[in-house]
Amino acid sequence: MISLPLAPLWILGYLSSMVVLILTILSLRLSRRLVEQDPENALWLFLNWLAIAFVIFSITHLISHSLHDLITYWDRPDLALVQRIFGGFDTVIYVAIAAITLFFHRIQRLYRRMEADHHHLEATSHEILALNREMEALVMERTMSEMALGMAHGIRNPLHVIGGFSHRLLRKTDEDDPSRAWATAIAEEARRIEQMVERFETLAMRKTSFFAQEDLNVIVRSTLELLLPELKAKNLSLVAELCSEPLVGRFNKHLLKVALAHLVRNAVEATPRGGTVLLRTAREQQFAVLILQDTGRGMPQEVVEKVFVPFYTTKIGGTGLGMVFVRQIVDEHRGVITLESQVGRGTTVTIRLPHRFTDRPEMMDELPPAAPPEAPAAPSTPEAGSG
Amino acid sequence: MRRWILQICPAVFVLVLLSPQYVLAEWVTWHQFGTQGSYVHQIAHLLLFLSMLFFIHEIFYAHLQKFHGFRLLVWTWAILALWNLDAFVGHWADWTLENPIILGQGWDRRLVMYDFQTWLVYITKIDHFLLLVPAFLMFYLGLRALVRKPGAE
Repeated sequence: MISLPLAPLWILGYLSSMVVLILTILSLRLSRRLVEQDPENALWLFLNWLAIAFVIFSITHLISHSLHDLITYWDRPDLALVQRIFGGFDTVIYVAIAAITLFFHRIQRLYRRMEADHHHLEATSHEILALNREMEALVMERTMSEMALGMAHGIRNPLHVIGGFSHRLLRKTDEDDPSRAWATAIAEEARRIEQMVERFETLAMRKTSFFAQEDLNVIVRSTLELLLPELKAKNLSLVAELCSEPLVGRFNKHLLKVALAHLVRNAVEATPRGGTVLLRTAREQQFAVLILQDTGRGMPQEVVEKVFVPFYTTKIGGTGLGMVFVRQIVDEHRGVITLESQVGRGTTVTIRLPHRFTDRPEMMDELPPAAPPEAPAAPSTPEAGSG
Repeated sequence: MRRWILQICPAVFVLVLLSPQYVLAEWVTWHQFGTQGSYVHQIAHLLLFLSMLFFIHEIFYAHLQKFHGFRLLVWTWAILALWNLDAFVGHWADWTLENPIILGQGWDRRLVMYDFQTWLVYITKIDHFLLLVPAFLMFYLGLRALVRKPGAE
């Protein structure tokens, strides 16, 4: 019968146990360095705890197994008690390592969710900030334009008076009268100032960098293309009834897309699976009309009344600013937004964007250059200059 | 807290050592398979095995395997999982081995391989060398790689 020597087995076992002990101690040093580099990193903390557990494991394992061999093969039953105690420690450390690992498994999940939430929050904040900046710039520019136009309008009236009277004076003064040269100088300078005011006015009117000639239907289509996956994911049917003729006007494409996307997302969230979201555009006298209707859960009247109130939200984690921005965007287009809702039947949002506002810059472009006034009582004041 | 642990643990250890033999009667035989201690130990091995698999899954779930350090750690856990299975089988074979025939004295002792179980005991005792050393070497190398490239996270 074959018999194999036990000595190589013991030597191999003890040597490898010693190597394991050294490796775990070295690993512990490395894991401590990782924690020192980034003390708040959950992964490094876990590896450090694990390295500590491994050091204890290597010690208890070495002792318990050595004692076991001594008892079994070297006839040392007196060591049985100590061996069993270390064996117990060995078991405990296995459970500890398993617990640390499984605990890490859960913590890692939570950590990732927190990280995702953080990124989402950061992205939303950036989006809100960028939108806010754009809105501020838009409001500021519009205010400055209006101020400039107001000033130009204010200067133009007295200027017409000066110009008109200087021309009358010229007509009533003899050719050899020395004061005729003064009247001529006054008329010329008044004419120069008037030309300057005209140029200034034209520039102020043309400064519409935030708005461009856009078709509302195109804006709606491109926004819906972006949101279609979200609708499909919830198995919602989208009915888009767009106006057959282009609804061209001076719109801020970016802002309108943001507003429309927010409204459609709200509709998607509110509508149960299998529901319908309807989007319609139409021309209604001087308005380009956009109607968004859903078959969602709807809102009670008290909620509808507060929809446009800043920071009011019924969503968990909502900012309560989305609808406020939507209204502000519509306001910037001089439009009107209305919201009707019935609990259990859905919500309808209607946006009316006036053509008058959008057409105004073109009207100014087509205006003929201002003629010198014939009489101070009838100064030429263009209609569009009043805005 | 640390001081408290350092005081309590040796005290418990001494208390156990000085306990009357009849109190320890249940304990003394825990390595004989079938006792509570042996079951706990074997279950601990299985638990450890499962946790290793969980960790590997976690590394892949978080896409951390693309980093060299974490790839080495995955190897650590994989080898340790294998070692746990090996230890489970080894313990069962060792603790149920009745009256092993040992020839010789001292370092010249030889184990008579009279059945499959004896072979199993002998082979599984090499697990330290075959599995634990490479596993902890991988652990050390993995941590070293992570320390060298802290941005690897």
